[in-house]
Amino acid sequence: MAGVGFQRWVRALSKGRRPGFSALVPLCRAASGVSNNMLPGAYPKTPEERAAAAKKYNMRVEDYEPHPDKGEGFGDYPKLADRSQHERDPWYKWDHPDLRRNWGEPMHWDFDMLIRNRVDTSPSPVSWSTMSKQLLGFIGFMLFMFYLGGKFPVYQPVGPKQYPFNNLHVEKGGDPEKQPEEPKNYEI
Amino acid sequence: MADYREAPLATRPKTLDPNEYFNLSPEQRRAEEERAALRANLKRQYQQQLNNPHRKELIEDPALTRWVYARANPYTNFRPTKKTSLIGALFGVVPLFVLYYTFKTDRDRKEEQIKAGTLERKFSLSY
Repeated sequence: MAGVGFQRWVRALSKGRRPGFSALVPLCRAASGVSNNMLPGAYPKTPEERAAAAKKYNMRVEDYEPHPDKGEGFGDYPKLADRSQHERDPWYKWDHPDLRRNWGEPMHWDFDMLIRNRVDTSPSPVSWSTMSKQLLGFIGFMLFMFYLGGKFPVYQPVGPKQYPFNNLHVEKGGDPEKQPEEPKNYEI
Repeated sequence: MADYREAPLATRPKTLDPNEYFNLSPEQRRAEEERAALRANLKRQYQQQLNNPHRKELIEDPALTRWVYARANPYTNFRPTKKTSLIGALFGVVPLFVLYYTFKTDRDRKEEQIKAGTLERKFSLSY
């Protein structure tokens, strides 16, 4: 049985009209999963293309706004507001609560940046100028003080180090027979 | 709350938007209703698949598939313009040369100092 199938396969390869590998691949395939017209495409130029793209992304035609066509690689992907998932209602019953997103909702181009572990675009409690002034002021002050401390060190008064054994005469390579006079490190 | 001013680079929350409460024209209401209808349709599809007792496989999200496809294939929609070429040159070509020259000159200077014996080997904590 397997031999028959193999023979037919070889015959298809040799007599078939499609070149190379496509001779082995069947002409029809199952219509499962995402079909090609559901995937993102090129920038929409006509109003019909815009309407079709809006329908594809589950948005209203008036809401749908593609990224400007500057050749940057966006295609017809919609330009959504740059708001992070922090700003979404925490009490609404999202389909995916950790991502605060519903199934089928169009995703922002930078969705992986806007998740709740990362960039937060929600309003801050204090204004930006106050925040920068406080942070940079503190850091600048601490850097300046450490610089001054390095310039003007303050420590307990110390004298020169005193070594035993005749100022380490033998250890420093001196002749053990000829010992010089003992150095006096004190004054009475 | 009347004098609330949002921080730059941040947004005003939707509940503090005065347009939510005043000036709701019929067009705006209709727009909100259409958006709600789209949302409800998606919710219905998801719930049907979620609660289907005969379902054995994962629920596939076409929006996620589209997002992944779009992020993975920017070059099909790429077009060399002034801006894109400039960015490509700035990030791809210039660093090669700049870094090469920086490191080379620094290393050469250090090598000369070592050979001349003038290199100061400090014990500083920062740098």
